[in-house]
Amino acid sequence: MTVLEAARRLNAEVIVEGDAIANPIRHVVASDLMSDVLLVDEEDILLLTSLASDQVLRTAHIISAVGVIVVNGKSLPNSMVQVARDLGITLIKSDKNKYDACIAVHEALGCP
Amino acid sequence: MSNLPESYAPGHEPNSENAEQHAEPLVLIEMIQRLKVRDVMTSKLVTVERASTLRQVQSLMKAKRISGVPVEEGGRFLGLVTINDILRALEGGYIDETCQKHMSTKLVVLEDDMPLSFALRYFENYHYGRFPVINREQKLVGIICQRDINRALLLELANELNRIESEWVLSKATDQPFNLYVLREFPVSKYDFENAGKAANTVKQILKEKNFPPKVIRRIAVAAYELEINLCVHSDGGSLSWQLSNGRAEIIATDSGPGIPDLEWACKDGNSTANEWIRSFGFGAGMGLVNVKRVADEFEIESTIGVGTRVKAVIYIDSKLKTEV
Repeated sequence: MTVLEAARRLNAEVIVEGDAIANPIRHVVASDLMSDVLLVDEEDILLLTSLASDQVLRTAHIISAVGVIVVNGKSLPNSMVQVARDLGITLIKSDKNKYDACIAVHEALGCP
Repeated sequence: MSNLPESYAPGHEPNSENAEQHAEPLVLIEMIQRLKVRDVMTSKLVTVERASTLRQVQSLMKAKRISGVPVEEGGRFLGLVTINDILRALEGGYIDETCQKHMSTKLVVLEDDMPLSFALRYFENYHYGRFPVINREQKLVGIICQRDINRALLLELANELNRIESEWVLSKATDQPFNLYVLREFPVSKYDFENAGKAANTVKQILKEKNFPPKVIRRIAVAAYELEINLCVHSDGGSLSWQLSNGRAEIIATDSGPGIPDLEWACKDGNSTANEWIRSFGFGAGMGLVNVKRVADEFEIESTIGVGTRVKAVIYIDSKLKTEV
């Protein structure tokens, strides 16, 4: 499943279409602590977070994430949108809470 | 405005006629627009109170080698005593009188988020040796003089030259990617979450463009990012430098304080001195140094209280180096 498909399944809004929007998701990380996200060694990560800050995208860039979904309907600061564009990271906004968003992505990935 | 001296005038642009007409190089114009007053100013302030005598200020100026001392009480900026005020006091025989009576209160101040270009115009138009700097809450947060600007511009120019040089070297050395030489240095300011991470993102971008192995890029980028965030969160400001040469990437974070009291404790999982505000940005879990150690092939840290901390992380790009160690 690609990030774009994940956005559709979550009925979420795609704010920025990044470079890896059509890449398959191989791993999902849900966290508000970027320090923890940086510890993950997997590739092609989809990052789910309720943190709406520039640092989420800078972290996503460092770990080569395929995209970021900000949950809980958080309003995204303009700077965040700009950083997503600058770094070519797909930025998605979902009204679902983190738990429900995780379940939806889990099911969409066809995981048991 | 009640807590500011009279004639407070931030944001008011002085006569800038012809200011844009100078034929400065584009890189310099971009630099003075991008840099903010807070990036350049001196934030470690030496201040006095109204009841201090001018003689005390004179001693302070001599000891600290400064030519202007702000008068401040309880966060309120009240005025400035300059070297000229001291000279007048010596001539007039009132050097033992208080600052309250003789400090300059008709002041022009700058705001910390103004671009540096504003400060340059102020210096050109007002002919003052220094300007106090206030923040949005109108608290005194720094002082800026020409020397601060010269220092900052020289540092930025050196970085720019390094960047141009490294791009040139990279473009010439694509056939021997592990042996090329690149050196860059990025200043990092305390609590500047707006810019923290930019250096690591730049490092990663360069390595990606040059087709370095993704796993190596990830390790270098993680180390650079963690160290950059550490500088932003825990230090009084410093710099992040990275060097790529002979199959090794070397990342060095250096700061000017406050220093780490217990290095062993700071390098353990989950130990952090970060507050809730820092955690609201997603950091401060106490994993930064642990993660740098995890991704690095070599790790060194040294710290002295009141002096600063230096952390070095080395990552081998050329896997042959691992077997040699």
